Amino acid sequence: MQAELLAFLYQWGDAFTFLVLSAMGLAIIFGMMGVINLAHGEFVMCGAYVTVLTSRLNLPLPLCMLCGALTAGIIGIILERLVIRHLYHRLFDSIVATWAISLIATQGTLVFAGPSIEGIKTPFGSFMLGGYSFSSYRVVLMVIAVLVLISLYLLFMKTKYGVHARATIQNPDMARALGVNTNMIYSLTFGLGAALAGLAGALYAPTTTTVPTMGSAFIVQSFVTVVVGGANALVGTAPAAGILGVIQSGLVAAFGQTIGQIGLLVTVILVVRLLPKGLSGVFSRSGNG
Amino acid sequence: MGNWFSLLNGPQTMGNGRGFWVSFCAVILILVALPLFADSYLINNIGFFFVWVFMSMGLSLLWGYTGILSFGQTAFFGVAGYAYGVITLNFGSSYGLTFAALLVAVALAALVALIIGYFMFYGGIRDVFVGIVTLSITLVFETFMAQTAGPEWAIGSARLNGFNGMSGMPPLTIPWPGQEDIALEGQYLFWFLVALVVCVYLGLRILVNSRFGNVMVAIRENPNRAEMLGYDVRRYQLIVFVIAGALAGLSGVLYTTWGTYITPSTMGLTAAALPIVWTAAGGRKDLTATLVATIFLVWLSQILAVKGSQYALILMGFILLVAVMLAPEGFVVTLVKKIGLLARRSAPKATSVSERKLADSSSSS
Amino acid sequence: MTPILATKGLNKRFGGLHAMNGVDLNVERGELRCLIGPNGAGKSTLFKLILGTYPPTSGEVWFNGENITRLLPYRRVEKGISIKFQVPGIFQDLPVAQNLLIALQHRLSKEAAKAELERLLALLDLQPARAQRAGELSHGQKQWLEIGMAIALSPSLLLLDEPTAGMSPEETFKTGELVKRLNQDGMTVVVIEHDMAFVRQIARKVTVLHFGKIFVEGPLDEIISNEDVARIYLGKD
Repeated sequence: MQAELLAFLYQWGDAFTFLVLSAMGLAIIFGMMGVINLAHGEFVMCGAYVTVLTSRLNLPLPLCMLCGALTAGIIGIILERLVIRHLYHRLFDSIVATWAISLIATQGTLVFAGPSIEGIKTPFGSFMLGGYSFSSYRVVLMVIAVLVLISLYLLFMKTKYGVHARATIQNPDMARALGVNTNMIYSLTFGLGAALAGLAGALYAPTTTTVPTMGSAFIVQSFVTVVVGGANALVGTAPAAGILGVIQSGLVAAFGQTIGQIGLLVTVILVVRLLPKGLSGVFSRSGNG
Repeated sequence: MGNWFSLLNGPQTMGNGRGFWVSFCAVILILVALPLFADSYLINNIGFFFVWVFMSMGLSLLWGYTGILSFGQTAFFGVAGYAYGVITLNFGSSYGLTFAALLVAVALAALVALIIGYFMFYGGIRDVFVGIVTLSITLVFETFMAQTAGPEWAIGSARLNGFNGMSGMPPLTIPWPGQEDIALEGQYLFWFLVALVVCVYLGLRILVNSRFGNVMVAIRENPNRAEMLGYDVRRYQLIVFVIAGALAGLSGVLYTTWGTYITPSTMGLTAAALPIVWTAAGGRKDLTATLVATIFLVWLSQILAVKGSQYALILMGFILLVAVMLAPEGFVVTLVKKIGLLARRSAPKATSVSERKLADSSSSS
Repeated sequence: MTPILATKGLNKRFGGLHAMNGVDLNVERGELRCLIGPNGAGKSTLFKLILGTYPPTSGEVWFNGENITRLLPYRRVEKGISIKFQVPGIFQDLPVAQNLLIALQHRLSKEAAKAELERLLALLDLQPARAQRAGELSHGQKQWLEIGMAIALSPSLLLLDEPTAGMSPEETFKTGELVKRLNQDGMTVVVIEHDMAFVRQIARKVTVLHFGKIFVEGPLDEIISNEDVARIYLGKD
């Protein structure tokens, strides 16, 4: 009985971790600027590719992953300055523009790096408990996910950037009037969101095949988590990941991948219907900051 | 009937004057005459462009006219394409069955659109969330179809075949008394496509310039206000969604008969981007602009496909990006408006374009 | 006589906020009623509940002796209620004339709609702007266009939410005259307003809302000279 419970917890933790890590970047960008970044999957891909390519230089893996996240972040800042900035008041256009970027990124990677590149092995191997085999690396990822959540909380609550960012989310005009450089905040936040996406890609690179379209495995989950979690990334994303983790791991275990995806889809529809502001709306009155 | 005829011109379409219609007829005459002196390679290629036009006009209807951004049109494309394959591979092509298969396939796509649309619009899903839901649907379909490689995945005698796709289905055939069925291939398919494009295009022009069309644009502009004028917004959204789904399905069937072949990649994420590129680049708020842009961009992709289709897609991405940033109304529309402005400046006595359009629409019976 | 509009114990909570606190509003056919009250009193909320933009937490809305609480907004509009929102809700990208036509085409045939369009354009002084994009109108003109769209439906009950917001004194006066004329022709009108000059120009009976409840109701003169009313306003002003 204990082993079954542990196995279930592992499955749930694994799903939760994946959802949190992949959705956090998207949630922050959406919560801050209301931009739906359809190129989110490609930042994930960027993080993974950079990680794999730098690992060929025989650098330690964590450093490679850091490179992956940073590259994604820097590209994010550049894109924000060049493209996204002009589209803040044009929601549809920002969606289409980010999708265009996604198309360019996937096809560009396909052209210049080929249909796939050789990945890296999952480190740490596995351990046995009560007849079940668990991947140690995935447990490490669970710990990392929690650390990421804590770091983000500290970032937004205790640093100057965090205070300015939250003020900008609440009321950009007021923040600007009080001397906050909102343009810089938007750039940095978009970069942060991109870096988090890149981090997800970097962390999961050892577990998946590195192909240009690998981002698509992350976007549906990310979007669903953001919809369920609502605009407040700090308050909504983690609980959303928790709940969706249960739904998804249960469905996939019982019926397979496709049903798992359909289950998430149905959840989105139900949540939009019943809880349009997501869990953020439940936990805080305005659903913001 | 005369009433409908007058709706060919109206506030929701550009190109209402005599010059436009004369050029339109001229183009049709040229197209009809083309197979008589052009080689079959060219004819086949041009026919290929026409295959896609229905899907993008449907998207124009949905997004440009009604303000609903759907990433899921390729799902209907695929459903209808596969349905045609399944039906014809199982039942053959005699007695005009292929046309029945076409109708059934399109109807199936429309049905799927009806179900999805009902859950979305009557379930309170609006704006951005429609995009997210339709995006997810596209992904679900793609993933599902891609893993149907095994022999157990077959409907009747038609194997779904996973990534490799389904092939070998018969082209459209017309039964002819006293002789063998005429297969719509080559120039016959070409003429059929031209006729279909013209009929659908004219039909859609009538639709968007009618009262129904007025409500469509009202919903795009301000759905709340449209509801407060007594219109059941959900019903209009659903109807347009079904029409767009059927049109995407039509493209799907025609694609399948054109190449006797269909794969899951036609339902995938990248494929779903293409109609968005075409409508955005041309001008989603106008049918003619969308039509022109679709044909041009598919032709462009074909030329670039020599180098490798991935380059074509990168270019498409850039075109979309540039369109959104610099010409959000679409290149064709922006161009036409600029030309209109120039014309007005050189002839100051002429009434403005929109005044003339209103005069046209209110003076026609 | 059944009142044309009757709300019974209308309550609305938004999370912790009790926006509407048991409102029993009765409006007789042919009335011209003004709804006033300090900011946050719940006036717009009341309109939205009457229209059905969201359902009440409890309570009912009755129109012409029929319980419409369960009906969707577009059904209520079909029954004869029409609203002009606080923020101009027009079709920005479409020409002025088409805005009005869309409002008219629902109930009128093409010819009748065209005739009515001319009448409305004249009434609203929007003839010179008929081909202009509605988004390019001045704020006052936009308000008028939306009022025009609301009355194009020939409603039996017209709800106007701050119709003169952002208007000049001349435009405000003209709006007042228009509202009085519509009422004389038989339309029941309920107006939310902050502009007391406008209220004085048009109102006969006034309802004062405060904290989501009806504070006091009565003829214009009584309300104006009511000290309690002055006090709840002074508290905010």
